[in-house]
Amino acid sequence: MVSAVLDSAPPRASTRRRVLPETMLQATIWLGVTVVVVGPLLPLLYASVRTKPIYQAGGVFSLAAYRQLFGDPAYWRAVWNTAVFSGIATVVAVGLGALFAVLCHRTTMRFGRVFTVLLLAPIVLPPLGLMVGWTSIYGDSGYVTVVLAKVLHLPVWQLSSVLGMGLLGATVFMPIAFLTCRAALEGTDSALEDAALGAGASPITVIRRITLPLLRPAILNSAILVFAISFEALGIPLILGQSAHIDLYASYLYHGWQNSPTPDPAFVSAGAIVLIVFVSGLLLLRSVLLGAEQRFISVSGRRGGAHRPLDLGRWGPVATGVVALYVLVTAIVPMVGLMLMSFVQVLSTLVPPWQLITGDNWRIVLHDPTLHRSIVNSLVLAGGGALLTVAVVVLATFVAHRSRFALRASLAPTLMYPRAVPGIALGIGFFWTYLMFTPGSLVRNNLWGELLVLSVRNLTLAYIVIYPSMTRIGRDLDHAARASGAGWARTCRRILLPLLRPAVIGAYVLVFISMLNEFDALVFLAKPSTQVMSVTMLQNFTRGVAGPVAALAMVQTLIVASVLLIGAVALVRSRRHA
Amino acid sequence: MPEIHVANLTKTYGATRALDDISFVVHDKEFLTLLGPSGCGKSTSLMSIAGFEQPDSGSISVGGSVYFDSESRTSRRAEDRELGIVFQSYAIWPHLTVFDNVAFPLAVRRYSKAAIRAKTIEVLDLVEMSPQARRYPHELSGGQQQRVAIARALSASPSVLLLDEPFSNLDAKLRDRARGWLRGLHHELGLTAIFVTHDQDEALSMSDRVLVLDGGKVLQSGTPEDIYRRPASRFVADFVGHCNFLTGVVVGNDRRRELRVELDGTGANLIVDTPTVLAAGTPITIAVRPEAIDLAPETASDAQRQNCWPVTLSSASFLGDHYDFETEMGPGPLTVQTTNAVSGGQLRVHIPATACAILTP
Repeated sequence: MVSAVLDSAPPRASTRRRVLPETMLQATIWLGVTVVVVGPLLPLLYASVRTKPIYQAGGVFSLAAYRQLFGDPAYWRAVWNTAVFSGIATVVAVGLGALFAVLCHRTTMRFGRVFTVLLLAPIVLPPLGLMVGWTSIYGDSGYVTVVLAKVLHLPVWQLSSVLGMGLLGATVFMPIAFLTCRAALEGTDSALEDAALGAGASPITVIRRITLPLLRPAILNSAILVFAISFEALGIPLILGQSAHIDLYASYLYHGWQNSPTPDPAFVSAGAIVLIVFVSGLLLLRSVLLGAEQRFISVSGRRGGAHRPLDLGRWGPVATGVVALYVLVTAIVPMVGLMLMSFVQVLSTLVPPWQLITGDNWRIVLHDPTLHRSIVNSLVLAGGGALLTVAVVVLATFVAHRSRFALRASLAPTLMYPRAVPGIALGIGFFWTYLMFTPGSLVRNNLWGELLVLSVRNLTLAYIVIYPSMTRIGRDLDHAARASGAGWARTCRRILLPLLRPAVIGAYVLVFISMLNEFDALVFLAKPSTQVMSVTMLQNFTRGVAGPVAALAMVQTLIVASVLLIGAVALVRSRRHA
Repeated sequence: MPEIHVANLTKTYGATRALDDISFVVHDKEFLTLLGPSGCGKSTSLMSIAGFEQPDSGSISVGGSVYFDSESRTSRRAEDRELGIVFQSYAIWPHLTVFDNVAFPLAVRRYSKAAIRAKTIEVLDLVEMSPQARRYPHELSGGQQQRVAIARALSASPSVLLLDEPFSNLDAKLRDRARGWLRGLHHELGLTAIFVTHDQDEALSMSDRVLVLDGGKVLQSGTPEDIYRRPASRFVADFVGHCNFLTGVVVGNDRRRELRVELDGTGANLIVDTPTVLAAGTPITIAVRPEAIDLAPETASDAQRQNCWPVTLSSASFLGDHYDFETEMGPGPLTVQTTNAVSGGQLRVHIPATACAILTP
């Protein structure tokens, strides 16, 4: 009887057909990603070895641009400044990041979870807003600086210095070290610390002798990453270094481009190429070291397990105070300063702020067509760009990790590469690409061109969010779908994509925020009609217009906050069955 | 109905040979088990048939159609092989209900909505999971998840069912029940089934035929009784159940079916009941199952009995339904399993001539 049941398969409604052979689909995805990532670098290289810009006839191949670059004393000053800046930023960011990670995740320090959120806030806070906030409070004529110098007659710092920029850089990059160290801490067994406690060591000694030395690989790893990223910093020197005429690498290229007597000078392209080579080399070194480190991790026995926090005893309140002070000084006070600035014409110690309150800055933001347009542009770019980026990365991840496509192995490094290309170099690369090729004229000078740059730049971010979730989906789940008769495309759509939903939402939110905050890659492409908030803020601030910039930064902060909130709700909803 | 032909399958991962020229045939409606330790090639064989592993060479055909052939460079895609597969992890999709999981293979084949519904309910009835049709996988017990996995494998009416250690995530009691249930299902549906396991009890209790694999090779093929009673090699004897190994030299063939062996180190002569004829002086190894050996207090008449020797007891352990005794017979240890307790004093063992299996060297 039962076999009769199973033999009674109903006739098929129609035979299965595939619209596109799966290999064609996979090849298209592979080719698209590879072209947009590798493509822009070639015109950049080409532009750097031509005597005349691409659009002018009569240029010849020459290394003159490199000679001009290396012969410019200002270039070497910028290189030296950048090295010092990056060194300070790296040492401070990694030192604090490691310390905070240990305090928040390995000790009985109170409010560890709250502090974790606050310490990570600089990742999503608009960096320009934070910088403007810093200047308004700690800048050479900032509120706190003036109070200390004029009122209390204390010696004060100078934020417009390489040291000052390095410290601001450290607070911006600290979350990278914090996250890396936290991941390493979660991967190690707390029995190692218990053993030291059992041997009679005090908790402070345990942290000093066991926990921190165990973090050494994570510290080295994040140090290289922070150093590489701080080498390409553009916003900090433009906002803080301008008054003191201090250039860092990226701002040197930016100023060289803007102030050059001949348009689109080749030495800027040459500088971008040198920067790419340097940063790529650093990141390559990092991945080699990471590979070596992975071998050590895999031989260690039990991982994770129960984490018993170390009791700090009477040092506990001290630790809480230190972390709270850090958050207050580096994030809360500057953000309050930013908010105040958006409501006053000038922030001055001579007049109480409440007597200066004005709605003018906000009125400008709401009514000035240029600023208004930049807000709309930003929303369109971030909304559409995040959609495009996440969609491409999801498809590319399917090809890279869940297909038998012959060239799939090259996709993962290709998706990781855009992170190694400094934003400013990527921007110049796309600038030349759009000039050089006829299809480029379709996206030149319009939002599509900027959307493409932002998407390429954020491929890596989307990939590092989506890839770990993909590896957690057991291969048996798609094998089961294949065995059920589903092809590659259907397996991806019906099984993998729904299971990836939380990661897709997370990636969308992060890419959206990253695109909203981005300016490095856009400064060379933005035209008055295509300006986004960040670029508008940067250009207005360098022209000395601070109030509306602060208001615009507040708008950006509010958008980021609402996107985070919506994302969090969507994430909770999507996790029903996972 | 399909016969599965696997011929000369080879697969290497770097320096390791996962499959070393494996060939076997699964007959129509047969329940065949691939048994072996981890890394023996059993799962690789199964996944090669399913289409998730690509062998380096060889051929696989099911019911006359070629699924894989390295000669003609044919490899049918996994999704076109029309097999039912049950994964070790069950691989039930967590975002779909029980109903949608089981209906998926039918939806892929574009049956009408009504047909999908009817068929899915039928299959769920078969595995007694209809009441849970609207549940999500995380709301099910392990045993229920396993039945959903089997229902999904059966829903598109495949004639071949592949099972990759489907019971390894169940607790012991549930596993016993599931064995009987699956055996019954196989019998009722008349499927050809290949079952992969490292559990000898599962292999012996369920299969029509067992293939013992190691190092990517088939070591022995036979009915469960064959494999257990007449293991062809030391590895098979040791892997399937516990075994004592006695080494010695053939002294002579006393009569038909009787081989006299002088055991190493003792000088004692063991009579082995076998049709094999071996020349005197041939070194051989004999396998004896612990439960086939008789252990009892020594009596006066024992000295005259054949295959009967005094032993000393070195340890005893009680395992609920039986006892394990470690004894010393001459130079070597001998494990004996009995259902009754044996208390101290002078003991002797009796090894029945019919319980001795000669292993090929």
